[in-house]
Amino acid sequence: MLPESVNAVKTDIKVRVKFSKTGSLKFISHLDLNRTMQSAFLRSKLPVWYSEGFNPHPRVAFTPPLSVGVSSLTEFMDFKMVEEVEPETIVERLNASFPAGLRASLCYAPKAHFRDIKWSLYEIKFELSGKAPENIEEKTKAALSADEIFIEKYSKKGEPKVVNIAQGIRFCSSSLDGNVFTVNVKLSCDEMAFVNPKYIAEVLEKAMPECFAGAENEVCRMEVYLADGETLFS
Amino acid sequence: MKIPESILKQVEKPGRYTGGEWGEVIKDPESVDVRFAFCFPDTYEIGMSNLGIRILYNILNEREDVWCERGYAPWADMEEKLREHNLPLCSIESGTPLSEFDFVGFSLQYELCYTNMLNMLDLGGIELESAKRANDAPIVVCGGPCTYNSEPFADFADICLIGEGEDELPELMDIYKKHKAMGFDRAAFLREVSHHQSMYVPSLYDVEYNEDGTIKSFTPKFPNVPAKVQKRIVKDMDKAPFPKNLVMPFIQTVQDRIVLEVYRGCIRGCRFCQAGMVYRPVREKTPEVLNEQAKILADATGYSEISLSSLSISDYSCIEKLTDELLSWTDDRKISLNLPSLRVDSFTKELMDKISTIRTGGITFAPEAGTQRLRDVINKNVEKADLLRACRVAFEGGKTQVKLYFMQGLPTETDEDLEGINELAESVIDEFYATPGRPKKSPQVTLSTACFIPKPFTPFQWEAQCDLEELQRKQKYLMGKVMNRKIKYNYHDAKVSRIEAIFARGDRKLCRVLLEAAKRGIRLDGWEEFFDYDKWMEVFADLGIDPAFYANREFGEEEILPWDNIDIGVTKAFLLRERHKAYEEKTTPNCRLQCSGCGANKLGGERSCCPKA
Ligand code: SF4
Repeated sequence: MLPESVNAVKTDIKVRVKFSKTGSLKFISHLDLNRTMQSAFLRSKLPVWYSEGFNPHPRVAFTPPLSVGVSSLTEFMDFKMVEEVEPETIVERLNASFPAGLRASLCYAPKAHFRDIKWSLYEIKFELSGKAPENIEEKTKAALSADEIFIEKYSKKGEPKVVNIAQGIRFCSSSLDGNVFTVNVKLSCDEMAFVNPKYIAEVLEKAMPECFAGAENEVCRMEVYLADGETLFS
Repeated sequence: MKIPESILKQVEKPGRYTGGEWGEVIKDPESVDVRFAFCFPDTYEIGMSNLGIRILYNILNEREDVWCERGYAPWADMEEKLREHNLPLCSIESGTPLSEFDFVGFSLQYELCYTNMLNMLDLGGIELESAKRANDAPIVVCGGPCTYNSEPFADFADICLIGEGEDELPELMDIYKKHKAMGFDRAAFLREVSHHQSMYVPSLYDVEYNEDGTIKSFTPKFPNVPAKVQKRIVKDMDKAPFPKNLVMPFIQTVQDRIVLEVYRGCIRGCRFCQAGMVYRPVREKTPEVLNEQAKILADATGYSEISLSSLSISDYSCIEKLTDELLSWTDDRKISLNLPSLRVDSFTKELMDKISTIRTGGITFAPEAGTQRLRDVINKNVEKADLLRACRVAFEGGKTQVKLYFMQGLPTETDEDLEGINELAESVIDEFYATPGRPKKSPQVTLSTACFIPKPFTPFQWEAQCDLEELQRKQKYLMGKVMNRKIKYNYHDAKVSRIEAIFARGDRKLCRVLLEAAKRGIRLDGWEEFFDYDKWMEVFADLGIDPAFYANREFGEEEILPWDNIDIGVTKAFLLRERHKAYEEKTTPNCRLQCSGCGANKLGGERSCCPKA
């Protein structure tokens, strides 16, 4: 990384923007999101701080990346500005430069660190593939609240390994509406105990194959929390 | 119907298929008269790299009565899913199957994408052969540089647009609307289309062949169908339609930058170069208009690089003024400026200072041939001394890497000329060490060679391509000559070049070959992992068509050429003159020094260097 020259930053104004990422954006990788933001910044003409050197670019930090196919109502990004701009103006100008799947909602000076984010609340909507059992809600709760929940993970080398992910799952609620079954669940996004939301579908399929086998699902991150799993990150 | 998410989750780079990008145009299908699927017969990343196509997309969409959507060739994994689930290929914007559009347009930029076009038609649920299409089936319209010889795909295209599309496409929309209002009759519509300049309707012509396979006659089926189709040009480039918005891909493409077209055409006239002939006459944009357009594109895209593009950018008559004007605001906006396609004789310290303040990396020149003799044959008016001088400027400016492009298998080429390529590289290395104040690092010269492909509408259109073994021998020969570790040598796959040569000079008999190739699943030929030369050769063998007839045969000067029905302005007599001069090793001055009477001036054009017709 190139050294920053002393006078590059006239004023060092850190900004945090909360935004949502839905629609096509859920299929965009973290790298591509970053690229999309860079061009949105240039379109917005906001006085964003740029690195010095041959290839100036804003330095943007994001909340932990989502798995491909997952949308989110709660994403954050931090960047620096070289001039003070009203938070509402920042939100407005970003939204005018964002593609349809990105929406900024809030802007403020950051307090907590992204590394303090330990839990994510997900809403997982299943389109059931078969008739739901009478007690689907109880069974879901039981399956996701067990002390031992084993799934098969693959190491980087591709070797399967059986892990207990029970510690990283906190079941919240569920509801059935026709054949759409919605589960709200908090999953750990701690680096050591990260639980990919796709495992929830696997666990439920094992518990109730009659309605979860091959069921399409949509996953959306609703909120992110600190280590206690209760305090909202902001 | 959009592609189901369960499929998107299973394929590589789903961002290729989802749309929703900044600048994507969504309209109410009920509110428009014409629905147009603008297809690029290769992957999304390649298609979205082409700024010209993105500009046409917006030009069409700026009309309220047209909704232009996009379509791309799916990657193999997605194709498999579509076929497995029986899903049609759809447009990106609305997920409408290609078969439901009024028009399906293909931009054909290189021969290797022909099979992708057929595969996309097939996936889209459209009859491949135009003769089999029903009255209400989409009109398949082809454009792009490949249409200068449309014969190899003549059976599949309802209409080929010859030349520059900015005015052509909107005009075609108007003709269609008129016919739609009258109760659409496909045959009547195509007949009328054929009366318009530059709109070629292949089905309205009969071709007869001689015993030896060459063309005997090429005749319009009806008296009022023109025998020759004249290409269309934008007369005043400053007034060419230019959009206010552009669609911006989410995923990385091959060209993530603004490509500003500074002028069209080329004053040079290299004898192998098709672009240099078919885009004649040269027509420049003024620096003022270019500067305005660059600003519009910067605002609309948010790209952080502007690349000035043209066949030979330094030949632009106002290059100084343009770069100065651009640099007056690009730095502030964190946008860098890039000049590709520099000629060695124009590579000056001033020019490099301007661009090197922003961009690092190596420099690239294209001497094209290793000896002065052969450079004279191809009319590449570049001298060794110029090259070395340009390299010295670059070395003084701190550069250490030079990339040199060459062509192998050019007419009259001998092993001595090949050796000359290596010698030129050695001289560049020597020049480096002879440069006071050179950088401390050691130099590197990369030689990159392509195989000569005889192209329609060039002075070399009659030449044979060397056969495959000879092309490969030439590559090995040069490889054997390159001993210096500071010189790297890369070459193109000669097999790919041979397939390109076959289709570049193909006639209508090749339609059968393409059809059979498509049936056998040949596609994505531009991708090393899918290109299969042997499979192609099997198709030719099974159909009893000799590929050497197209690639490796010297065409007779009296012969009716498959593309003789197209008038690009430049005359066949001029091309012949140039061919003969090549054999005499005589060069032709560039158009700014002296007009050589190529004939393109009859097309008119503002800010060109042609004499008035
Ligand atoms: S008419 Fe003359 S000046 Fe114009 S392109 Fe042809 S040769 Fe060049």
